[in-house]
Amino acid sequence: MNKELEHQFVTELQNNQNIVHKVCTLYTNDRDAHNDLFQEITIQLWKAYPKFRSESKFSTWMYRVALNTAITLYRKSKRSIQTQDYESVIFKIKADEYDETEEQQLKLMYNAVKQLGDIDKALVFLYLEDKNYTEIAETIGITEVNARVKMNRIKTKLRTILNP
Amino acid sequence: MMDELELLKKDWQKREAQHPQLTFEDIHKMIWKKSSSIVKWILIISILEFTLPHLLYLLPSTQAGFDVYEKLGMKNFIIILSVVQYVIIFYFIYQFYRRYKEISVLDSAKNLMRKIIRTRKTVKFYIIFSLSLILFSFLAFAFAIYLSDDLSAILGSMDQEAIEKITIDKLKRSIILGIIIGGIVFTALIGGVYFLLYGRLLRKLKKNYKELKTLEV
Repeated sequence: MNKELEHQFVTELQNNQNIVHKVCTLYTNDRDAHNDLFQEITIQLWKAYPKFRSESKFSTWMYRVALNTAITLYRKSKRSIQTQDYESVIFKIKADEYDETEEQQLKLMYNAVKQLGDIDKALVFLYLEDKNYTEIAETIGITEVNARVKMNRIKTKLRTILNP
Repeated sequence: MMDELELLKKDWQKREAQHPQLTFEDIHKMIWKKSSSIVKWILIISILEFTLPHLLYLLPSTQAGFDVYEKLGMKNFIIILSVVQYVIIFYFIYQFYRRYKEISVLDSAKNLMRKIIRTRKTVKFYIIFSLSLILFSFLAFAFAIYLSDDLSAILGSMDQEAIEKITIDKLKRSIILGIIIGGIVFTALIGGVYFLLYGRLLRKLKKNYKELKTLEV
């Protein structure tokens, strides 16, 4: 029974690992920290898996656990040193896909998002993942109205970062 | 700005394939690794905080302290104090356990933070209680000396001639003063170190929680 559950979990996570990778990219600055956070999220997901009910989608359930781990539970390990290299690798834009100005614009946008606080990042992340405000509000634990207010403030904040 | 965020959204969703993909084995290995989450740290630290002060009683010097209490006629007082102390400690441990069990990663971000802070608060109150008890013991000790006529219990090892040179009253006064000052300094020192460490552990969490709380006002 346990082996079956294990297999089921790992397969599900493997298929949905991009969600976790994206959270890690947003909340860490180098590869070591990325892997560290990925591991912690995996452990938390696995610990909570027996409580997972299949009436909700596995991916929906993952958002909550992954974000909670990144914002609240994760404690940075000492070995993670801040480097910029990794960031530029992840946010490298393929030149043939975009024109020059759009590429530049996107790069600046990603960097601006990285400068936001933990909570703001979570809202932006859910927004980018195309979640509606009801879902965003539920995941964060605030009202829908407040989620909208917060999102507007974040947009203003991003604008200030981009055009100081 | 709206357009830029929309642009980012489109790009973000295209980005799926750019992350290094982990294999089944990679992930399978990970699920058996040990968690280093803040909740686990809180559990470990709290258990230490609950148990460490009690190990002190096993030290011989503390045992010798009990003899002094007996000679000063404080024995019954100490026994009653200990009973009250342990009842309260067990209440704290029970409360801590109950709150700790309520912490769930499946909660909303805000509730999760609230529950962690609340759990930790139990330990904070326990420490405040312990510190007050330490200070109270010092004061009670000083008071017992004040009431006691026989100082040999605490002065056992001191040179008799030296004692005779100063009047007993003067000696008594300086011992009492010493104990009171010592008690205050000791309590303040331990409290200071503790709250410094305690603050560090939850600083980020508290900041994030406050940010969510202020949204509601």
